[in-house]
Amino acid sequence: MVEGRKKSRTFRRVKVKTPGGETKVQYKRRKPSKAKCSECGKPLSGTARELPGKMKKLPKTKKRPTRPYGGKLCTQCTRRKMLEKARTK
Amino acid sequence: MIEIGRLCMKIAGRDAGKKCVIVEILDDKFVTIDGETRRRKCNVLHLEPLDEKIDVKKGASHADVSAAFTKIGLKARETKPKEKKIRPRKLRRSKLATKTAAKPEEQKTVKKTAKKTKKKTVKKSVKEKTTETKK
Repeated sequence: MVEGRKKSRTFRRVKVKTPGGETKVQYKRRKPSKAKCSECGKPLSGTARELPGKMKKLPKTKKRPTRPYGGKLCTQCTRRKMLEKARTK
Repeated sequence: MIEIGRLCMKIAGRDAGKKCVIVEILDDKFVTIDGETRRRKCNVLHLEPLDEKIDVKKGASHADVSAAFTKIGLKARETKPKEKKIRPRKLRRSKLATKTAAKPEEQKTVKKTAKKTKKKTVKKSVKEKTTETKK
Protein backbone atom coordinates (compact mmCIF):
# COMPACT_ATOMS: atom_id res chain seq x y z
CA MET A 1 0.00 0.00 0.00
CA VAL A 2 0.93 3.64 -0.35
CA GLU A 3 2.83 5.41 2.43
CA GLY A 4 0.48 7.55 4.51
CA ARG A 5 2.43 10.73 3.86
CA LYS A 6 1.99 10.37 0.11
CA LYS A 7 -1.78 10.55 0.35
CA SER A 8 -1.43 14.28 0.98
CA ARG A 9 -2.40 16.66 -1.81
CA THR A 10 1.04 18.27 -1.65
CA PHE A 11 2.14 15.37 -3.84
CA ARG A 12 0.95 15.06 -7.38
CA ARG A 13 -0.12 11.72 -8.87
CA VAL A 14 1.40 10.80 -12.23
CA LYS A 15 0.28 7.76 -14.25
CA VAL A 16 3.29 5.98 -15.74
CA LYS A 17 3.18 3.10 -18.22
CA THR A 18 5.82 0.51 -17.34
CA PRO A 19 7.78 -1.64 -19.85
CA GLY A 20 5.69 -4.61 -18.66
CA GLY A 21 2.55 -2.92 -19.95
CA GLU A 22 1.02 -1.95 -16.60
CA THR A 23 -0.03 1.55 -15.68
CA LYS A 24 1.22 2.55 -12.27
CA VAL A 25 0.81 5.67 -10.16
CA GLN A 26 3.93 7.57 -9.10
CA TYR A 27 3.93 10.27 -6.44
CA LYS A 28 6.03 13.33 -7.24
CA ARG A 29 6.62 16.67 -5.58
CA ARG A 30 5.05 19.89 -6.80
CA LYS A 31 7.14 22.78 -8.08
CA PRO A 32 7.12 26.08 -6.17
CA SER A 33 5.02 28.94 -7.49
CA LYS A 34 6.28 31.71 -9.79
CA ALA A 35 8.19 34.61 -8.24
CA LYS A 36 6.21 37.86 -7.90
CA CYS A 37 7.14 41.54 -8.05
CA SER A 38 7.70 42.80 -4.53
CA GLU A 39 5.79 46.07 -5.19
CA CYS A 40 2.89 45.32 -7.50
CA GLY A 41 2.53 41.55 -7.18
CA LYS A 42 2.77 40.68 -10.87
CA PRO A 43 4.50 37.38 -11.79
CA LEU A 44 8.09 38.06 -12.86
CA SER A 45 9.52 37.03 -16.22
CA GLY A 46 13.00 35.61 -16.65
CA THR A 47 12.90 33.71 -13.34
CA ALA A 48 13.20 29.94 -12.92
CA ARG A 49 10.69 27.69 -11.13
CA GLU A 50 12.33 24.53 -9.85
CA LEU A 51 12.68 22.43 -6.72
CA PRO A 52 15.57 23.54 -4.46
CA GLY A 53 17.91 20.73 -5.54
CA LYS A 54 17.68 21.76 -9.19
CA MET A 55 17.78 25.49 -8.47
CA LYS A 56 21.18 25.11 -6.82
CA LYS A 57 22.58 23.56 -9.99
CA LEU A 58 21.32 26.35 -12.24
CA PRO A 59 23.78 29.18 -12.93
CA LYS A 60 22.96 32.57 -11.42
CA THR A 61 22.22 34.15 -14.80
CA LYS A 62 19.45 31.66 -15.55
CA LYS A 63 17.52 32.46 -12.41
CA ARG A 64 17.06 36.22 -12.88
CA PRO A 65 17.35 38.87 -15.63
CA THR A 66 20.62 40.85 -15.86
CA ARG A 67 19.05 44.21 -15.14
CA PRO A 68 18.96 46.42 -12.04
CA TYR A 69 16.32 45.00 -9.65
CA GLY A 70 16.19 41.90 -11.86
CA GLY A 71 14.30 39.11 -10.13
CA LYS A 72 12.91 41.55 -7.55
CA LEU A 73 10.80 44.15 -9.38
CA CYS A 74 8.88 43.96 -12.63
CA THR A 75 9.89 46.06 -15.66
CA GLN A 76 7.28 48.76 -15.06
CA CYS A 77 8.27 49.23 -11.40
CA THR A 78 11.99 49.47 -12.27
CA ARG A 79 11.25 52.03 -14.93
CA ARG A 80 9.28 54.11 -12.44
CA LYS A 81 12.20 53.96 -9.98
CA MET A 82 14.71 54.99 -12.64
CA LEU A 83 12.55 57.96 -13.66
CA GLU A 84 12.35 59.08 -10.01
CA LYS A 85 16.12 58.76 -9.75
CA ALA A 86 16.64 60.85 -12.89
CA ARG A 87 14.17 63.58 -11.94
CA THR A 88 15.13 64.11 -8.30
CA LYS A 89 18.85 64.82 -8.93
CA MET B 1 15.51 68.07 -25.66
CA ILE B 2 16.93 65.29 -27.84
CA GLU B 3 20.00 66.94 -29.32
CA ILE B 4 23.68 66.16 -29.73
CA GLY B 5 25.53 66.73 -26.45
CA ARG B 6 22.49 66.37 -24.18
CA LEU B 7 23.20 64.39 -20.99
CA CYS B 8 20.66 61.62 -20.41
CA MET B 9 20.01 58.72 -18.06
CA LYS B 10 19.02 55.30 -19.32
CA ILE B 11 15.83 53.99 -17.72
CA ALA B 12 15.69 50.52 -19.30
CA GLY B 13 18.00 47.62 -19.99
CA ARG B 14 21.06 46.37 -18.17
CA ASP B 15 22.61 49.87 -18.26
CA ALA B 16 19.62 51.37 -16.47
CA GLY B 17 20.48 54.15 -14.01
CA LYS B 18 23.66 55.14 -15.85
CA LYS B 19 24.39 58.49 -17.46
CA CYS B 20 25.15 58.89 -21.12
CA VAL B 21 25.46 61.56 -23.79
CA ILE B 22 23.78 61.66 -27.20
CA VAL B 23 26.45 61.42 -29.85
CA GLU B 24 24.41 61.07 -33.04
CA ILE B 25 20.76 61.26 -34.07
CA LEU B 26 19.74 58.51 -36.49
CA ASP B 27 16.05 59.38 -36.94
CA ASP B 28 13.06 60.50 -34.86
CA LYS B 29 13.11 57.24 -32.86
CA PHE B 30 16.76 56.17 -32.49
CA VAL B 31 19.98 57.82 -31.29
CA THR B 32 23.55 56.72 -30.62
CA ILE B 33 24.69 57.07 -27.01
CA ASP B 34 28.01 56.75 -25.20
CA GLY B 35 29.44 57.39 -21.75
CA GLU B 36 28.96 55.24 -18.67
CA THR B 37 26.88 52.91 -20.86
CA ARG B 38 28.00 50.86 -23.81
CA ARG B 39 28.32 52.69 -27.12
CA ARG B 40 25.17 51.68 -28.96
CA LYS B 41 21.97 52.59 -30.75
CA CYS B 42 19.16 53.38 -28.33
CA ASN B 43 15.45 54.07 -28.47
CA VAL B 44 14.50 57.58 -27.42
CA LEU B 45 11.76 56.21 -25.14
CA HIS B 46 14.42 54.47 -23.03
CA LEU B 47 16.19 57.75 -22.23
CA GLU B 48 15.35 60.45 -19.72
CA PRO B 49 17.06 63.74 -20.68
CA LEU B 50 18.69 65.69 -17.84
CA ASP B 51 19.29 69.44 -17.45
CA GLU B 52 22.96 69.42 -18.42
CA LYS B 53 24.57 69.65 -21.83
CA ILE B 54 28.11 68.69 -22.81
CA ASP B 55 30.46 70.01 -25.52
CA VAL B 56 30.55 67.05 -27.86
CA LYS B 57 30.68 66.99 -31.63
CA LYS B 58 28.61 64.77 -33.87
CA GLY B 59 30.01 61.25 -34.11
CA ALA B 60 32.57 61.84 -31.34
CA SER B 61 34.81 58.90 -30.48
CA HIS B 62 34.80 57.17 -27.09
CA ALA B 63 38.04 58.94 -26.15
CA ASP B 64 36.49 62.41 -26.70
CA VAL B 65 33.41 61.47 -24.72
CA SER B 66 35.46 60.12 -21.78
CA ALA B 67 37.54 63.34 -21.76
CA ALA B 68 34.36 65.44 -21.64
CA PHE B 69 32.96 63.26 -18.85
CA THR B 70 36.03 63.69 -16.64
CA LYS B 71 35.56 67.49 -16.86
CA ILE B 72 32.13 67.15 -15.27
CA GLY B 73 33.23 64.59 -12.73
CA LEU B 74 31.80 61.39 -14.18
CA LYS B 75 33.72 58.33 -15.28
CA ALA B 76 33.10 56.80 -18.68
CA ARG B 77 33.00 53.06 -19.28
CA GLU B 78 36.34 51.33 -19.79
CA THR B 79 36.45 49.42 -23.05
CA LYS B 80 39.78 47.65 -22.57
CA PRO B 81 39.40 43.96 -21.78
CA LYS B 82 40.36 42.91 -18.26
CA GLU B 83 43.45 40.80 -17.68
CA LYS B 84 42.66 37.14 -17.18
CA LYS B 85 43.52 36.09 -13.64
CA ILE B 86 45.08 32.65 -13.33
CA ARG B 87 43.37 30.97 -10.42
CA PRO B 88 45.45 28.54 -8.35
CA ARG B 89 44.20 25.09 -9.16
CA LYS B 90 44.97 21.81 -7.39
CA LEU B 91 46.61 19.15 -9.56
CA ARG B 92 45.58 15.52 -9.42
CA ARG B 93 48.09 12.91 -8.23
CA SER B 94 48.26 11.25 -11.67
CA LYS B 95 49.17 14.56 -13.30
CA LEU B 96 51.70 15.38 -10.59
CA ALA B 97 53.70 12.22 -11.40
CA THR B 98 54.04 13.22 -15.06
CA LYS B 99 55.02 16.82 -14.28
CA THR B 100 58.23 17.84 -12.45
CA ALA B 101 58.00 16.66 -8.87
CA ALA B 102 59.87 19.54 -7.22
CA LYS B 103 57.43 22.45 -7.24
CA PRO B 104 54.09 20.70 -6.61
CA GLU B 105 55.50 18.76 -3.64
CA GLU B 106 56.69 21.96 -2.06
CA GLN B 107 53.26 23.47 -2.45
CA LYS B 108 51.63 20.39 -0.93
CA THR B 109 53.88 20.38 2.13
CA VAL B 110 53.29 24.08 2.67
CA LYS B 111 49.55 23.52 2.61
CA LYS B 112 49.76 20.58 5.01
CA THR B 113 51.83 22.44 7.59
CA ALA B 114 49.47 25.38 7.44
CA LYS B 115 46.50 23.10 8.15
CA LYS B 116 48.32 21.40 11.03
CA THR B 117 49.18 24.68 12.74
CA LYS B 118 45.57 25.80 12.49
CA LYS B 119 44.32 22.60 14.11
CA LYS B 120 46.88 22.87 16.91
CA THR B 121 45.81 26.38 17.81
CA VAL B 122 42.17 25.35 17.96
CA LYS B 123 42.93 22.41 20.22
CA LYS B 124 45.08 24.54 22.50
CA SER B 125 42.35 27.11 22.96
CA VAL B 126 39.79 24.40 23.73
CA LYS B 127 42.12 22.83 26.29
CA GLU B 128 42.73 26.18 27.91
CA LYS B 129 39.01 26.83 28.20
CA THR B 130 38.30 23.43 29.76
CA THR B 131 41.14 23.83 32.29
CA GLU B 132 39.89 27.27 33.20
CA THR B 133 36.33 26.06 33.75
CA LYS B 134 37.54 23.19 35.93
CA LYS B 135 39.56 25.53 38.09
